[in-house]
Amino acid sequence: MLSVSLTVNGRPVTATVEPRTQLCELLREDLNLTGTHVGCEQGVCGACTVVVDGKPQRSCISYAGDSDGCSVITIEGFDDDALMEQLRDAFSRHHALQCGFCTPGMLVTARDIILRLGETGAARIREELSGNLCRCTGYVGIVEAIEEVSKGKVARAPQTVVAAIEGTVAVRPVDAPMKPAVPPNRPAAPTASAGVGARKGWSSIEQRLAVGFPPEIVWNRLSDIRQVSFCLPGAEITELQDDRVRGRMNVSLGPIKVALNGDGNVLLDAENRIGRLSGRGQDAGSGSSAEGEVEWRVLPGEASGSLILVNLSWRLSGRLAQFNRAGIVQDVIQRLASIFVTNLESSLKGEAIDETSIKPLGIWSLMLGVIRIRVARWRGRNA
Amino acid sequence: MKPASLEYVRPRSMEEALAVLSDETANAKIFAGGQSLGPMLNLRLTRPAKLVDIRHIPELKAVRADARLCSIGATFTHAELEDGAIEDFTRGLLPYVARGIAYRAVRNRGTVGGSLAHADPAADWVSTMAAIDATIVIRGQAGERRVPAQQFLAGAFTTELGDTELLTAVELPRFSAAARWGYYKVCRKTGEFAKAIGLAIQDPKIGLFRILAGSPEGRPALLTRSAETLATRGAEHAARDAREEIEEVLPNLAPAHRQQLIAAVQRSLGQILLVEAA
Repeated sequence: MLSVSLTVNGRPVTATVEPRTQLCELLREDLNLTGTHVGCEQGVCGACTVVVDGKPQRSCISYAGDSDGCSVITIEGFDDDALMEQLRDAFSRHHALQCGFCTPGMLVTARDIILRLGETGAARIREELSGNLCRCTGYVGIVEAIEEVSKGKVARAPQTVVAAIEGTVAVRPVDAPMKPAVPPNRPAAPTASAGVGARKGWSSIEQRLAVGFPPEIVWNRLSDIRQVSFCLPGAEITELQDDRVRGRMNVSLGPIKVALNGDGNVLLDAENRIGRLSGRGQDAGSGSSAEGEVEWRVLPGEASGSLILVNLSWRLSGRLAQFNRAGIVQDVIQRLASIFVTNLESSLKGEAIDETSIKPLGIWSLMLGVIRIRVARWRGRNA
Repeated sequence: MKPASLEYVRPRSMEEALAVLSDETANAKIFAGGQSLGPMLNLRLTRPAKLVDIRHIPELKAVRADARLCSIGATFTHAELEDGAIEDFTRGLLPYVARGIAYRAVRNRGTVGGSLAHADPAADWVSTMAAIDATIVIRGQAGERRVPAQQFLAGAFTTELGDTELLTAVELPRFSAAARWGYYKVCRKTGEFAKAIGLAIQDPKIGLFRILAGSPEGRPALLTRSAETLATRGAEHAARDAREEIEEVLPNLAPAHRQQLIAAVQRSLGQILLVEAA
């Protein structure tokens, strides 16, 4: 538990809360200030917007701990605010609310627009309001109300400029990156294409990898699922029996860390050098699951090497699915593919695999009966 | 929709912050504003044991400058740059980019360093800093190191930054009065992450000619050949070359998406032409 002290609507407040408590929860649940509405809880809808230290902020992606020492004004704190009074009146006259859910956030944002910009036209108001959603779609009235109140208002004086400390900025030369950056298109024949598969809700991607070993050797190695798993950081096979495989895959992509547990079926056609693995996995932490299929073919390549043709298809469900940005999956697959090829080649040559060069993220996870990649898709927000 | 249980720490100095981060088993995550991290926390896609709030470290909010370079501390917010809270070293480019990031309430908290470290390739600073030829300053217990911004991103959500390190500042070249730039982003809705970013900079006085195509998939692509054309033959010719170069360096993109990138880059070059014509 964490003890925090802050000022809410001018009154000092002390609360003992769990550090994970969102600011909006603290306001609503502990202080009973239910005028702050909670909509999307991911910073998109703007319903929870409150003023923190003079600036409108999202109270769903602010937390009790980081609000310690701050001064917060919620919609309840504007009773005596002259500008807010004008806005309330204008909102009524212009029918700028229907169900009223978005209204507290709208008003807080509207007040900030006028304070910062003074008299403002409809186009700029719409731009500034883009972070507040009204699902009754009452924007016309809202914009009209704000425009009317802004008439004749003067923008607040710009804030003071932080002075630069004069002196030499770079005293040391630029260092080389710690690990060599993988060029985006390194797989020898970069002909991947991302697309939505024929199956509903599935995505697929095709990837070609050139490996400097003859097809029969590559095929043999790829048929040995356990050997393949060693080329894949984060992957672990816990059980392998005939065509059944069980395993774990730890995937980490920036702050997202997922541990997928799953099982799958392996199908190997040695004659045509085609392998197929389908599987499904679950991550208890994020309450998400993934199913996927990978098919690989080993073909003769250039200069007695091989070409591995890989077709991946996947479907995510649960919370991860919201963040499945197909393009990023493709980028991750390309980077992983080049790491995988490097490791596969090292493994074929009998060299040790450099485990430190790789972060445990997984595309080839598919081959392990566990699965894949997921990623952030959010609208509109940088850290 | 609530974060998993975690601990909150608020270091007051760089040393204190680095000490917390140095424990690799602590599963600590730096919190620099939390406008991307917050949603991930709420959805429990990320479950750090410890949030390290670096917004109260004075050193991370310093601006330093000399005749050639300037350094901006990591925890300046997008809104502060938008409002001109620090001297404008880039002839308006940084404030312009800042104003296009998400929404004001998000810009009031989100920070430049946080956005870079989070490394969503669709984010504005990732592309801008690479195009500007900025240098990312990284501090660890072993000391400080510098990485060129275009090498900082290895791919989506993956950077040069180690788990025990802190991104402390960004160093930028100071633009001359002759500098011209164009920035164009394709978004479906105002404030959304970009589908495509085009950025062009020409500053003959300091010899900076850069053209960049940024896409939500991965590392932004610097178009070096088109930039050379920009230096020798101007923006109009560069816009023609850019199409070809984008097709060449980003062959994996879907054609429709490639077209968005081409349009974004060409429009950024068009902005340079407009300024020159005025």
